[in-house]
Amino acid sequence: MIRAARLGSAAKSRVVVKMPTWRRRILLIAVLAGFAVLLGRSVYLQSMHKAFLQQKGDARYSRMITLPAHRGKITDRFGEPLAISTPVESIWASPPDVKAEPEQLVKLATLLKIKPDVITKKLVNNPREFVYIKRRLPPELAAQVMRLHIPGVFTQREYRRYYPAGEVTAHLVGFTGIDDNGQEGFELHSQGWLSGKAGSRRVIKDRQGRIVEDLEAVKVPQDGHDLALSIDRKIQYLAYRELAAAVEEHKAKAGSVVVLDAKTGEVLAMANLPSYNPNNPVNMAGRSRNRAIVDIFEPGSTLKPFTAAAALDSGRYKPETLIETSPGAMRIGSATIRDAHPQGLLTVAQVIQKSSNVGSAKMALSLEPHYLWSIFNQVGFGSPTRIGFPGEASGKLRNYKTWRPIEQATMSYGHGISMTLLQLARAYTVFTNNGTLLPVSLLKLKEPPVGHQVYTPATANHLKDMMETVIQVGGTAPRAQVLGYRVAGKTGTAHKPGVGGYQANHYVSSFVGLAPASNPRLIVAVMIDDPGAGKYYGGTVAAPVFSKVMSGALRMLAIPQDAPNNNVVIPVDDIPEIKEVV
Amino acid sequence: MMYMLSGRERIAPSSPYDQALVWVTLILLGIGLVMVYSASIALAEADKMTGHQPTYFLVRHSIFLAISLAAAFVVFQVPTRMWQKMAPYLFMMGLAMLVLVLIPGVGRNVNGSQRWLSLFVINLQPSEFMKLFAAIYVADYTIRKAEVMDSIKRGFLPMVGVMVVVGWLLLREPDFGAFSVIVSISMAILWLGGINGRIFGGLIALLPVAVIGLIWSSPYRMQRVIGFMDPWADPYGKGYQLSHALIAFGRGEWLGVGLGASVEKLLYLPEAHTDFLMAVIAEELGFAGVLVVIGLFAWLIIRAFRIGKEAVNNERYFSALLAQGIGVWIGVQSIINIGVNMGVLPTKGLTLPLLSFGGSGILANCIALAILLRIDWENRRLQKGLPA
Repeated sequence: MIRAARLGSAAKSRVVVKMPTWRRRILLIAVLAGFAVLLGRSVYLQSMHKAFLQQKGDARYSRMITLPAHRGKITDRFGEPLAISTPVESIWASPPDVKAEPEQLVKLATLLKIKPDVITKKLVNNPREFVYIKRRLPPELAAQVMRLHIPGVFTQREYRRYYPAGEVTAHLVGFTGIDDNGQEGFELHSQGWLSGKAGSRRVIKDRQGRIVEDLEAVKVPQDGHDLALSIDRKIQYLAYRELAAAVEEHKAKAGSVVVLDAKTGEVLAMANLPSYNPNNPVNMAGRSRNRAIVDIFEPGSTLKPFTAAAALDSGRYKPETLIETSPGAMRIGSATIRDAHPQGLLTVAQVIQKSSNVGSAKMALSLEPHYLWSIFNQVGFGSPTRIGFPGEASGKLRNYKTWRPIEQATMSYGHGISMTLLQLARAYTVFTNNGTLLPVSLLKLKEPPVGHQVYTPATANHLKDMMETVIQVGGTAPRAQVLGYRVAGKTGTAHKPGVGGYQANHYVSSFVGLAPASNPRLIVAVMIDDPGAGKYYGGTVAAPVFSKVMSGALRMLAIPQDAPNNNVVIPVDDIPEIKEVV
Repeated sequence: MMYMLSGRERIAPSSPYDQALVWVTLILLGIGLVMVYSASIALAEADKMTGHQPTYFLVRHSIFLAISLAAAFVVFQVPTRMWQKMAPYLFMMGLAMLVLVLIPGVGRNVNGSQRWLSLFVINLQPSEFMKLFAAIYVADYTIRKAEVMDSIKRGFLPMVGVMVVVGWLLLREPDFGAFSVIVSISMAILWLGGINGRIFGGLIALLPVAVIGLIWSSPYRMQRVIGFMDPWADPYGKGYQLSHALIAFGRGEWLGVGLGASVEKLLYLPEAHTDFLMAVIAEELGFAGVLVVIGLFAWLIIRAFRIGKEAVNNERYFSALLAQGIGVWIGVQSIINIGVNMGVLPTKGLTLPLLSFGGSGILANCIALAILLRIDWENRRLQKGLPA
């Protein structure tokens, strides 16, 4: 009450309380000056300093996201898929943003089948901003992982290659690595064509990694192109199956089959063993090579038709010209060459049928080295096919200037000269195209290519006729016959070269043939490397594979028979083994 | 009629109360409500504590506003002289609460600061109310000691003693921000109340020494100062919060990225809905938004001083000091908060008055403005010859 009374006395207050107006003004000005400073600072931050600040902001929350392009399919000539991309999810994390209970991490580890301590090591106290936890998971599993709702754990769409034909086309198609880059085969060779161009998106992300907005126009990914191979998937399966059976039966180290379209040079099938599963490429040592293209071998007697054709074209021989091969051996310098079955006088045709080394050597030695070399060179020995496959081998044809007579003699029957099975098969196109060599292709062609005339048409047809007798009674390969079709071909059995000369008990068995002989449509070349079950002659080991692949392929392609009546002259099981010289 | 014709008088006396003051206050509260919602959506959604409800903070802020406006209406009914009568008791109550908050188990600790009292469902922040109680107390003190304002021993030192006690309690929490505001209010009222100019000058000179001492004495304040000096030296550590606030200003430019479009509020900028609400305003509404908010605050301060001047004219000195004290409170706290957001002042735990999320702050601000409105209402009545 006392205080109230004091306050009530206005007169007393007026005397005592000093409240100068200037003090109020100064205080107000000071406060307003504070606001003015703030407005100035705001102008500075929001206009002058903004570029720096925005750049700092972008560094923290704008991110470039790559949009993967869809990798093109690889198909066979009819569009059947050999390599396709299926979507998979990869789980990744930004360790500094991960906030997870220990039991959540255990759940994560269990789902992904990773040890919990591996996950902990990756996610706890790891300063990196990006780690993959596990890549290429099925989308359902990835969805389960995301349902754990662990902050800082994300998925990324990727594509996984799937190879429906698996090991059957493994060597041709190859496979891709973890980042979808081709590692082998056409996946490697046609990487640029298949892969397309990844697109990108610049986005702002919130602190939990979710995309908030696009900063600039999305660069749309350009999908890769499809690639159609020349392969016919059915023939490829057939060739692989028969090759696998033969390699198994003869306990061979390896084997290859090449099937060519005789009129276009397109490769309809190319199978190799051993093979691998490109869907899970592990333990690849020695299995990944496309031997038909990257490995060379000495072809042996399958080369004789080219020597004989050169002899005919030289004018010094006619198909019926007689050559003395008795006593089945021939001395050239310090070396001796032999026939397995000593014969007497043989025509050129019989030299081919019986596969006489002596006959072949005599024809070769009657020719100028340069001439023979040029013929071999023109049928493509010693030069790559340029088929466009990674690691193709070119084979060896030595320069004629260095040839010694013994070398010229042995080369005539396929020793001292080496090539790939594809080169050998390609050379046989001269016998299916009136003496013209066709280039070969692993890609589907729109029109047949232009060939190179090597032999006269007459000579080429003579040789084709001679090779028909190889399959008949008295020839080296009755097992190559095909029911309903006339077949021409040549066997080959060669010792494998080893350290310091040829190895006595290691062989390469081969057979190259064509059918129907009246109008050849297919060339099939078979090579079996080091058969270990006792049999090793080309006519015994390789010819039956040829027969099965050729007959199956002819039927698949509905090629009319040219010997519709039963042309199988000897029941196959009873055929005596006819040796040929190695 | 005389007043209506007088061009010098801006507060229209025909109205029984200051409508403009009410509107400006409501606009600021409205901006606060919208921006608190915008700034808190992402935070609320991401937080387990809120049950991932995006409207968690909006709902609570709305409830605080309703309570605060109701409280303001009640406070407006209280005559000014009642506040003056209650001044010592309110101040004692404030001190008691500051003591209570320090008792473990009674006070609640959030982020290393013991600033909250748990009262059933609501957490009370005594320091917010202490600002109001201090303004009332110092205004009353100045009137009571008007005769000895020139004397250091009788006029000044008792107030220093009181401030030391308050400061000691506040720094125990610690709440350096609230202490700064209370010291500012007290010094402003003493200054207006005619304290000896030399004493005041000496005080101003001593202040930097005291501030530096306080900073040195506490490692966490030291860190904040270092982070403020160069936020880009350690942008992911000490400078993290400030660097994100600055980025928000830079992104906002003149007109802002648009309401709701802030990126900084997406869990990058900590305390986006409380202490760093201004950064979100600057990002979403640009300089335009900053200008409006600062303009409204400046208008509010000028209005408080004008009301104070009217009170002086009516020889109501307590009212005059209290009105201007409230103005200084709102002004200083908003300057410090915005200054912190812009990196011109080191980080403190101060909210933006009327706008930031926080029940105690809004309630205390609304009560203070209701008192200001009441002072003006009494002025108008006196000018019309009616009893206050």
